[in-house]
Amino acid sequence: MREIIQEFFKKTLTLRLFWLSTAVILLFILPLFISTAYISLISEMLIMALAGCALNLMMGYTGMVSFGPAGLYAVGAYTTALLLKKTGIPFAATMVAGPIMAGLVGAVVGWFCVRRTAVYFALLTLAFAQIIWTIFFEWYDFTGGDDGTVGFRKPELLLSINSSYYFILLIVIICLILLWIIVNSPFGKTLQAIRENPVRTEFIGVNVKRYQLYAFIISSLFLGAAGSLFAVFSGSVFPDYAHWIKSTDMIVICLLGGMYNFLGPVIGSAVYIFLSKLISGYTMYWMLFLGIIVVFLVLFMRNGIAGFISHKIAPLIQENKETEK
Amino acid sequence: MIEVEGLTKSFGGLTAIDNVYLKFKKRELSSIIGPNGAGKTTLFNLITGHLSPDQGKIIFNGRDITNLPPHEISRVGIGRSFQRQNIFPRLSTFENIQIALFSAKHINGKLFSQAKNMLRDETDEILESVGLTDKKLMQAGYLAYGDQKRLEIGIALAIEPQLLLLDEPTAGMSPRETIEITKLIKKLVKKRGLTLIFIEHDMDIVFGISEKVKVMHQGRIIFEGTPKQVKANAEVQKIYLGKDKK
Repeated sequence: MREIIQEFFKKTLTLRLFWLSTAVILLFILPLFISTAYISLISEMLIMALAGCALNLMMGYTGMVSFGPAGLYAVGAYTTALLLKKTGIPFAATMVAGPIMAGLVGAVVGWFCVRRTAVYFALLTLAFAQIIWTIFFEWYDFTGGDDGTVGFRKPELLLSINSSYYFILLIVIICLILLWIIVNSPFGKTLQAIRENPVRTEFIGVNVKRYQLYAFIISSLFLGAAGSLFAVFSGSVFPDYAHWIKSTDMIVICLLGGMYNFLGPVIGSAVYIFLSKLISGYTMYWMLFLGIIVVFLVLFMRNGIAGFISHKIAPLIQENKETEK
Repeated sequence: MIEVEGLTKSFGGLTAIDNVYLKFKKRELSSIIGPNGAGKTTLFNLITGHLSPDQGKIIFNGRDITNLPPHEISRVGIGRSFQRQNIFPRLSTFENIQIALFSAKHINGKLFSQAKNMLRDETDEILESVGLTDKKLMQAGYLAYGDQKRLEIGIALAIEPQLLLLDEPTAGMSPRETIEITKLIKKLVKKRGLTLIFIEHDMDIVFGISEKVKVMHQGRIIFEGTPKQVKANAEVQKIYLGKDKK
C-alpha cells in the first residue's frame, strides 16, 4: 500500500506541469458537469486564490507580514463598482481602474509602512486598512455606507453565472502567470533575498526599503484586481470587504496553503472556502473552527499544505528513489 | 584608497571609536587586531554605512562616503563579510551568489525576465573560486559552517568590490579549515587585485596574510606597522599579545 502511495506522489510531483494543465482544463470544462451553485463557489475560490497569491508576494516572498490586504482589495472593488454605477465609461476600463487605484493607494500606504519592520509594519498596515474601511463606511453619500454600493450595471455577457465564471477564471489565470513571472525574475529573487536577510541584502547594494515598496505596490495591484473581480462577481460591494476579518481570511489562506510555495494560496483558498461553507452549513460556530484550524496550522503545519507535501511526502519519494538505485 | 579622518562614535556614555585616523593603500593587505570590545567591528560598521559617525570623515577613492546608506556604499566598491555567518539560508548556494551578481550588474529591477539561467557562467565562476561548485544546488542554510563562510566570501566578491572588509573570516572554524580559508582569501585577493582589510583574533592568520597590521585598543589605534614590528612592540605585547600567549 505504501509503495502505491509513494508511486502515486512520485508521478504527481514529477509531472507538475502535466497536472497543472490538467487542472486548468478541468476548470474550463467544469460548468458542463456541475450545478451553478458550485460554479459560484469555485468563482469565489478563484478570486480569493488571486488575493492570497497577491498577499503572498509580500508575505511569503518578501517577508513582510501585512494585516491589511483587505483594505487594498476593497479599494479595487469600490473603484470598479463606483465607476460602473456613476459613470458611463466602458466596462473594461473599470476593470483596469480598480487595480490601478489600489496600486496608487498601495504606493501611499506602503511608503509609510516600509519605514517600519515586523510587528510595527503589521500594525501600520492594519491601521491603514481600518482607515480605508472607515472611509467606505462613513462616506454615505458617495459609497452608500453600510448599505454598500449596489445595483451597478454589468455587461450582458457576464450576467450568467457560467459566463462570469469564465471571465474570472481567465483573469485569475492571467494574473497568476504574471505573478509567477515576477517571482521568478531577478526582481523576485531579490525580494526573496530581502526575506531571508535584509541586512545582508543591503550590503550587496540593494536599496531594501525601495524594493519593499515596489513589492507592496505590485501586491496592491493584484489585490485590487481580485477586489474588482469580486465586485463584478457579486454585484455589490460593502465596507466589510476592507475589514480586518477579511484580511485575516487572506492571511489564513496563505498559511493554510503554504506561503513558501507559489501555488500555496491557491490550495489554501480552495480548502479554506470549502471548509467555511461546509462548516457554516452545520453550525453557527465557524469562527470557533477557524480558530482551531489556525492553532493547528501554527503548531503542526508551519509550511501549510503545500509545505507538508514537499517536506513530508517528497522525502519519502526521494528515499524510495535512492533505494531503487 | 580609503582614508578615515578623525572618526568618532559613542554609544551612550561609551566612546567606541575615539578620534581614529587610518589610511589604507591600494592592493594592501591589512589587518586590524585588538582585544574584544576594542571597536573593530564598530569601525567596519561605520565604514560600510551600517552606523553613522558622530564626527569625522571617510574618504574612498577621493570621494566622501560618510553617511551614505549601506546599499550605496556597496555600489561604490566596498564589499564586506560578517562575523556571524550572513547568507540567505533558504535559497540555494547558487542563488545566493546569483542574486548578489544581479545587484552588481544592476539588473535586479528586471520584472519580466526569467532569473533561472541568467548570469550562469559568472555565478559558476565565483562558486568555483570559493570551492562550492559541487554544493551549488544545496540549500545554503544546510551547508557546513565552513562552507557558509566560503559562501559569504563569494557573496562579497560577487559585487565586484575594490575594497574587501572581512570580519573574522575564520571565527569558529577548525584549524584545517582555517588554513584553507586563509589560503583562499590570499589567493582571491591577489588574483583580483583587491585591497583587503580584515579583523582577526588568530595571530597566525594575521601574520600569515597581512602586510600591515593596525592595533586597536579602547577605540584608539595604538600602533601601526608590519607584522614583525607589531611582534616586537612592547606595548602591544602588554595589552594584547601578552594576554593571548598560550
